[in-house]
Amino acid sequence: MKKFAYYPGCSLEKMAQSYHLSAVETARVLGIELEEIDDWNCCGATAYFHVDELLAHTLCARNLAMAESTGLDLVAPCSGCYKNMHACNKHLQHDHELAEHINFALEEDNLHFKGNIKVHHLIQVFAQDIPAVKAKVTNPLKGLKVAPYYGCQILRPRKYEGENVEEVSYFEDLMNALGATAVDFRLKLRCCGAALIITNRQAALSMVRNLLQNALDSGAEVIATACPLCQVNLECYQDQVNSEFGTKFNAPIFYFTQLMGLAMGIAPKRLGVGTEFVAPPPAMVAACGKARTAAG
Amino acid sequence: MSTTATTETPVTFSREIANLLHAAGGNPVSSCMQCGTCSGTCPVGDFMDVRPQRLIRMIDAGMKDQVMATRSFWYCASCYQCTVRCPRGIDIAELMYGLKRFTIWRSKYPEDLIGPTFSETFVKNIVRTGRSYEPVLATSYFFTLGLKEMLQEATGATMLMLKGRLPVLPARIKRLENFKRMIKRIIPIGD
Amino acid sequence: MSAQKQLLIIDDDPDFVDGIKAILVKANYKVDVAYNPKDGWAALENKNYDLLLLDVMMGRGAEGIMVARKLGKDAKLRNLPVLIITSIREQMAFLFPGEAVHPHFVTVDELVEKPVEPKLLLDKIATLIKTAEAKTGQVADAKKR
Repeated sequence: MKKFAYYPGCSLEKMAQSYHLSAVETARVLGIELEEIDDWNCCGATAYFHVDELLAHTLCARNLAMAESTGLDLVAPCSGCYKNMHACNKHLQHDHELAEHINFALEEDNLHFKGNIKVHHLIQVFAQDIPAVKAKVTNPLKGLKVAPYYGCQILRPRKYEGENVEEVSYFEDLMNALGATAVDFRLKLRCCGAALIITNRQAALSMVRNLLQNALDSGAEVIATACPLCQVNLECYQDQVNSEFGTKFNAPIFYFTQLMGLAMGIAPKRLGVGTEFVAPPPAMVAACGKARTAAG
Repeated sequence: MSTTATTETPVTFSREIANLLHAAGGNPVSSCMQCGTCSGTCPVGDFMDVRPQRLIRMIDAGMKDQVMATRSFWYCASCYQCTVRCPRGIDIAELMYGLKRFTIWRSKYPEDLIGPTFSETFVKNIVRTGRSYEPVLATSYFFTLGLKEMLQEATGATMLMLKGRLPVLPARIKRLENFKRMIKRIIPIGD
Repeated sequence: MSAQKQLLIIDDDPDFVDGIKAILVKANYKVDVAYNPKDGWAALENKNYDLLLLDVMMGRGAEGIMVARKLGKDAKLRNLPVLIITSIREQMAFLFPGEAVHPHFVTVDELVEKPVEPKLLLDKIATLIKTAEAKTGQVADAKKR
């Protein structure tokens, strides 16, 4: 059985609880154990780097050190947390003076980071073994057209690690494995605006509009995300986009884990389905009905 | 590039910025060949008063006051598209972070920007509790909004509340005292 | 006074450096400047200084503290007098309003906050160098005996 140190991150505590629920449920079906890191702290999001990068690294390092002490690799479902933790891990492994100084601070919490772990995004863990996912699909999402939305920080900025961060298809593969059809979503790697939704609303709304328009133009009925910030920006601000641009978007936005869970026949309620603002499309409603019956 | 202490002055702005990123290992902006890939690829470019390519040239030209007066780096969403596409390997997104730090430490940024206040509030909150808390973030910038945005914001928050997606109480970590002492070793302020 | 004393400033703010350097040169000190911690450390390793003037907030954050800690661990440089000159309280005022600077986990001989009053600065520098020389003098004497 595969086991990981699980770092949910602040958004999954409440705002993106459906992501947390569905992540845990699908992992269980796949035989992947997610052991939540005890007493984890905020990763610092992007705001920390604006203020103090040493502090930003210290925050991430505390989580890394706690994960490392359990002997497990770290997995984060939020792309922002993932990017911060992944980057910090690399910095500390390569910059020994930085690591020494950060460890000096970690002493205050009786922690020490040696730099012996890997950091993964949840979707990478799941997409690593597509046949295993396929084997667990009991309720295929037949006919559901999904726009797989990667966003930014799952992929970027990792080009120096020899990864192709411009041409990827594992999200599509994962959705197709569920019996759904991944559409050709041209803007799948484009930014959702992230925190600009708060700091520079106009810019972010226009970015959200472009994404929604392109996804719908590609024939998608639902957009699948792998990040709480992307989900909230794309879903909760549709009304504002509509009033700003005179559009009529009403696009359902779900976490990829919710779609996986449904295809695995897990009861919709246990996947947090029902806390969304935009109702699921017909093909998904049908799958929900079947999953509900199957789960009893 | 000089690696030893110098008795020469003055120091160019470009060098000052390079020093800011020096430890992080970023390529210096002086290696920019002005190809424009960053500006062309930036999803927020249309909203910036100065696009990344020009901003880099301004830095190289030593236009310190003008650079610090722009808003463009506060429009950066940290999507790293420019960073991964720059043919010169300049980490432009990190440069934007660097410029944000540079202006925050000096309290030099256009007053009507929400970004700096938002970042400061966010950091303050985490330093006190170990976790971030969305409702506090909302109030931090709420009063900087216009009436229309304020109403929209209140509607959005109410919707999230109704769906049970906003926490009522802020979360805090268990070993908070250790955590606070840890921070004081990085930022040496306080008892 | 014997030979001209040699000082090193590590500070990322060229405007501040210009001002302070002028004061020090006028007071007959020889002054080197490094505008980031890396160059600063290289200078410390290559040349003997009588005193270091060290800024705190540089580069990624409070990197001056990293330099001070590293000095404390270096057998050769441990006894170099360090005078921290910082405006960290102002730079981080939003985070810890009204709280004092506390570098007490590093060996720092003196700490002054920007802006610095020239006379005070010169007094502190002179005292620190004198104290350090007295100390090495004692060590040398002890060795002779």
